[in-house]
Amino acid sequence: MEQQHHHEPLLVVNNLTLKHQGAAATTTILRDVSLELRRGEILGLIGESGAGKSTLGNAVLGLLAPGFSQTGGRILFEGLALNELSDKQRMELRGRRISAIFQDHTASLDPLMSVGSQIVETIRALDDGLTSRQAKSRALELMQRVGIPDPALRFRHYPHQFSGGQRQRIVIAIALAGRPDIIVADEPTSALDATIQKQILALLRNLTDETGVSVMLVTHDMGVISEIADRVIVMRHGKVVEQGATSSILDMPAEVYTKDLLAAVPRLRLPPASSPTNDVPRSADPQANIVPQTKLDQNPILRVKDVTKTYAGRSFPWLRRGPQSPALRDVSIELVRGSITGIVGESGSGKSTIGRIVAGLETAGRGSLDLNGRQFDISLAGKKNGLLGQIQMIFQDPAMSLNPRMSIGAALEESVWFGSRGSPSDRQDVGEMMDCLGLPRSLLLSFPHQLSGGQKQRVCIARALLANPSIIVADEPTSALDVSVQADIVRLLKETVSERGVSMLFISHDLALVQDLCSEIYIFRDGVVEDAGSADFIFSKSQNPYTRRLIDARPGRFTH
Amino acid sequence: MVSAIIGRLSQAFLLLLVMSVIGFIGIHSVGNPVFNLVNAETATPEDIRRATVALGLDQPVWHQYFRFIGNVFTGNFGTSYIYHLPAFQLVMGKLPATLELAIVAMMIAAPAGVLLGLLAGRRKDKPVDRTILRLSVIALSIPSFWLSMMLILIGAILTGWFPSGGRGPTGVFLGTEWSFLTLDGLRQLTLPALALALPNVALIARLTRSGTIEVETQDFTRFCQAKGLSPRRILFRHTLPNISVPIVTIIGMQFGGMLAFAVVVESIFNWPGVGKLLIDSIQLLDRPVVMATLTFISIAFVALNALVDLFYVVLDPRTRRSA
Repeated sequence: MEQQHHHEPLLVVNNLTLKHQGAAATTTILRDVSLELRRGEILGLIGESGAGKSTLGNAVLGLLAPGFSQTGGRILFEGLALNELSDKQRMELRGRRISAIFQDHTASLDPLMSVGSQIVETIRALDDGLTSRQAKSRALELMQRVGIPDPALRFRHYPHQFSGGQRQRIVIAIALAGRPDIIVADEPTSALDATIQKQILALLRNLTDETGVSVMLVTHDMGVISEIADRVIVMRHGKVVEQGATSSILDMPAEVYTKDLLAAVPRLRLPPASSPTNDVPRSADPQANIVPQTKLDQNPILRVKDVTKTYAGRSFPWLRRGPQSPALRDVSIELVRGSITGIVGESGSGKSTIGRIVAGLETAGRGSLDLNGRQFDISLAGKKNGLLGQIQMIFQDPAMSLNPRMSIGAALEESVWFGSRGSPSDRQDVGEMMDCLGLPRSLLLSFPHQLSGGQKQRVCIARALLANPSIIVADEPTSALDVSVQADIVRLLKETVSERGVSMLFISHDLALVQDLCSEIYIFRDGVVEDAGSADFIFSKSQNPYTRRLIDARPGRFTH
Repeated sequence: MVSAIIGRLSQAFLLLLVMSVIGFIGIHSVGNPVFNLVNAETATPEDIRRATVALGLDQPVWHQYFRFIGNVFTGNFGTSYIYHLPAFQLVMGKLPATLELAIVAMMIAAPAGVLLGLLAGRRKDKPVDRTILRLSVIALSIPSFWLSMMLILIGAILTGWFPSGGRGPTGVFLGTEWSFLTLDGLRQLTLPALALALPNVALIARLTRSGTIEVETQDFTRFCQAKGLSPRRILFRHTLPNISVPIVTIIGMQFGGMLAFAVVVESIFNWPGVGKLLIDSIQLLDRPVVMATLTFISIAFVALNALVDLFYVVLDPRTRRSA
């Protein structure tokens, strides 16, 4: 029976216009948006921040935030105009017919309720006729379905006892509990590591194929789209730019914006599949994998040796469960003067911890740090170890690393003052720096919230450079930015390093980004250096299975 | 677990010690109790000297303090100068009256405050919310003596529904006398309990309101909506548990305050409780009773804090460690 309906659209959006009434002005979020969602398909909505794609998802769910109002057009679900329904009718549709998966798996679940109860309460809210025993057995079935091992045991566990990927599986199980026709998935994998992301996307694809549910997949990531979407709608500034089958959009984009979007995605360039086996495998010792010539040629500006860091447990460490694994174990890295070295790993691999230790923001239990031939005591943090200021950091979220009450000019001046360390000849000019980084000087009097994400990150880079550092540690500096902005920032970092002779540690989870940027790469896993070598070695020659897995896990067909 | 308890106990012990020093120095500097004990008109200097020596007041302060502490360790707080009864026994005798007043007041304040707060939080910036907010400001800012007198005026004098003061008839339960066991006793309790409860209703309502607004912006309440739960279920099964930590904390603290410092309300309603005993004893410079009361209050606060901590552990699985 389902086959008959297969090509009839389940959801039709007709000339939808949505406005947001802000404190100061009314802005149009969606303008004349029209689309169709068919049964059993995954429709990708892609666009950069501000494109209105999430708002569209919320409108379909009937969960628009206060201030948003629909001023034109209609959303038809099986011929039913959603905006004409009462709140109660909308509530009855949610979960049963249209459900949702959100980006943040941690925030989506109530921390105080066991996951089993959260699934059961959903099942019972949607189907009054079930006894609690029936609801529980259905919940266990759903947990099994989404790939939670040992559901009977896990049923009683709380969200914090699950890994990120498993939490998102639970969220998917809840979304499926009412056997909905549509799932609105808003960035369902953006908060997950690449390998986990791949598994969750595969799960979504399987569920769509098996149950015939339709998925409206909202994302900013072309990789995710190319992995599972049947059709794509490209959105920009609240309008539909282009739509079509995924393969045709990816291979033959008609619009300039789509082409730009595709071009901005960092891609892995891999040699033909046969090449790894052609080379003689190198020694299994990761330290020996570092291409020897760099070691001979240059004397590294930074040499970190055998760093071990263990996080102290709670105030009663003898009560903790099981042995504690250190955050870092015997980690050694070197940074060649005037180069960019990449540190890559998944979350929890210790990649940010080593960055923070190098910057003097955290202490390490054991190990040595040698900067410009001088030894520093890394068991001390901050001012005491003398590192502070010689190494500057650029953080992931520029919005959170600028003081909201300080003007851009004041923030930069502070850095100049700090960087000159009392000698006037070392003072750099703020205006010149802004010109170099493509920031209009008129921004000096502005405050962070008045700047775009890309501008804020440029300010952070300027702030780091003005302090005259020997090394910059950049911890995921582009992860919070749109892809097109991301490309600009990467270019800027590259130029900065080559023109100013600064050295940089670039920490990222994204291999493709690192390949573009770095000459040396360290792969971190569970607090140890799993693999290391020149970019060329890592991508084409390394035999390390974990490295191979990371390279393979990147979603998308861009590697072809 | 054991070490956590030991840690907590040693903290409590330190707290009691510090409190006793402050209390002792405080009451010492208020005045010399001897003049309240002898007849000032007829006493000869010799009488005063003998009374001073008998009470040990001729010794230096630190000496008196150590003697007091030494006695406390043997469970002896001394004998009241005024009533000639063991001081701690005197405090315990006043406890049932205070306890039932505080419990009834909190049984009014907690549910009413939480419900009003949830209502206001859900209807943020709507007329209901604004009304609740304004009333809460009034309830928090009027002095409790004025509130008590208004309650007497309206509840007792104008309408005659409730008696204006005193404890009235009591029933016996567990060997002590309680007002809540008789209907008349409950009527006696109503006005003082309301006088204690109203500011707490306002406090709890404001706290609940701000918590509700904060939790409702979080993703999991949105996800609960998306999965099709009714607003009422989200409010009571998800929002309320998530905001209950600060609410329970404030309830614990306010309850402790009612046990100890309901002085104004107890005085106006002539309610024979611990607060009234404390203020009377300070006025009469009855040192043993003041020190016994202060010690009891400190212990009560420590115990309430421990109960609140226990509640956190029961409520929040993240603070539990599975075996």
